[in-house]
Amino acid sequence: MDLSSFLQNVLNGLAIGSVYALFALGYTLIFSILGIINFAHGAVFTLGAYFTYTLISGQFENNGLLKGVNLFPNGSPLAGSAWGFALSALVGSVLAGLVAVVIERLAFRPMRSRGADPLLALVSSLGVALVIVNLIQILVGAESYSFPDGIYGDLPGALLFKLGKKTIIIRTVQVIIFGVSMVLLLILGLVIGRTRTGKALRAVAENPGTASLLGISVDRFIVITFFLAGLLGGLAGTLVGSSFGIAGPYFGVTYGLKGLAVIVLGGLGSIPGAVLGGLVIGLAEAFVPADYSAYNQAVAFALLFVILLVRPQGLLGKLQIQKV
Amino acid sequence: MPLLELNNLSVNYGAVQAVRDISLTVEAGEIVTLIGANGAGKTTTLRAISRMMKPRSGTLSFDGHDLLAVSADVVVRYGVAHSPEGRQVLARQSVADNLELGAFIRRDSAQIQADIRRMYERFPRLGERRGQLAGTLSGGEQQMLAIARALMSRPKLLLLDEPSLGLAPIIVLEIFGIIKELNAQGVTILLVEQNARLAMQSSHRTYVMEAGQITFSGPSAELANDERVLHAYLGG
Ligand SMILES: Nc1ncnc2c1ncn2[C@@H]1O[C@H](COP(=O)(O)OP(=O)(O)O)[C@@H](O)[C@H]1O
Ligand SMILES: [Mg+2]
Repeated sequence: MDLSSFLQNVLNGLAIGSVYALFALGYTLIFSILGIINFAHGAVFTLGAYFTYTLISGQFENNGLLKGVNLFPNGSPLAGSAWGFALSALVGSVLAGLVAVVIERLAFRPMRSRGADPLLALVSSLGVALVIVNLIQILVGAESYSFPDGIYGDLPGALLFKLGKKTIIIRTVQVIIFGVSMVLLLILGLVIGRTRTGKALRAVAENPGTASLLGISVDRFIVITFFLAGLLGGLAGTLVGSSFGIAGPYFGVTYGLKGLAVIVLGGLGSIPGAVLGGLVIGLAEAFVPADYSAYNQAVAFALLFVILLVRPQGLLGKLQIQKV
Repeated sequence: MPLLELNNLSVNYGAVQAVRDISLTVEAGEIVTLIGANGAGKTTTLRAISRMMKPRSGTLSFDGHDLLAVSADVVVRYGVAHSPEGRQVLARQSVADNLELGAFIRRDSAQIQADIRRMYERFPRLGERRGQLAGTLSGGEQQMLAIARALMSRPKLLLLDEPSLGLAPIIVLEIFGIIKELNAQGVTILLVEQNARLAMQSSHRTYVMEAGQITFSGPSAELANDERVLHAYLGG
């Protein structure tokens, strides 16, 4: 492999890996607080992509209750400019965050308030995921949707760099994905590490009983956590969807599974672990030769398997004897 | 009207009744101790007051508020701070962050920082270890942190659950000194203690609990000389 294809692979890997990180962080946040995996997270990812698509295109195909609907006959006011895309991505992600809050109310809180086994909440979140996927199908059909061209406005589609005789292509989408993900991860890290809200959130994660004795409303912080997780998941869905298209209602399932590989690889409950795990898996996939790209999906899990043999706690996880 | 008033309060763990029909009051400015053997229901009583637990029946009021109507995070806002059994510091956060979180219900950040500095003066060992994770402190230091953290909410009433448990005698004396000092500054205290003699010496009134019920109560000085209490709890 020459230098230019090496660099090209690294760029591709970092871009997709940063989305994995963004998405997986949603799992991590909820896992840190409740100690369970939210299986509806992949569905929230999917919804985020559809929400943003609706805002920026609003045009639906030939199946589902919304068939043939065109919300913006003269074109969406948000299409065609970088700011329009930013705004629709923001609104789409916020809506996904709100859906996550509703999921918490419906699938998690009733179980928690009855003191049910956490495993039950896991199953009910799986149920919610199926309901969402089916609702999407009923509304807009099972076909794939592509974001309209030119959603980034005047930004060039790609930057080309000459390296000797070869050319390295940096697609604008990749820069956006990587930049947005990294900035968000950094902000989130600062918020959780430094601010009063972040400290309270970590207190709830460590010991909800003690947190409530300090005046922290545990339920409220659980809602905040679900909102943040849904926001990150919805944004990841938006970024992937705007770059590769939305592959249908089951779009998020693969990402959901890969996200699980990411958090286990990085270390359950570890925020830096989710980021590192995402980047590692993204890079590993990027280096799969084109001839074998059909096996792309297997890479994450093969890598996971090998690393867990050596480090059962994941890359940055601490060995937990028991939850405190 | 007493600051804290429990009337016929009962608390269960599932089918097990841990506290049965107890009535208890604490007046503003008092130090009241609750003593009794292991398993008598002392911790459960404190957990009911701070609403870590839901009492099964009875009434519970503090400073004009019905505590049965609210959850634990609201009880703190009314002015009750609970330093729980087993200290329960946030092991994965620094000493400074534990103190800051103790003031979670307050918004006056300048005052909060001033209070944290005062805590470091009162508990110099916490000051020396302010950047350390709380889980790495010794037992005595964690106990001081738990008390300091509870004080950071500027409570009217401080609930202390066995602050001397597992500590060296010299540190126990230090902690009782601090309790008296806090009380002199106007903090009302409800203290649960195994060390009955010391607790009675340091308090105005005492309640004795046995198998979930209150069996004796009165001024500490009188109870400390009561034959029955003497026999059962003071080893003489
Ligand atoms: N989490 C619990 N589940 C069930 N029973 C409990 C629990 N905690 C305490 N108990 C029971 O409640 C009773 C009172 O306990 P506790 O209030 O901790 O007593 P004390 O603090 O006086 O030692 C004991 O019989 C104890 O076994
Ligand atoms: Mg106890």
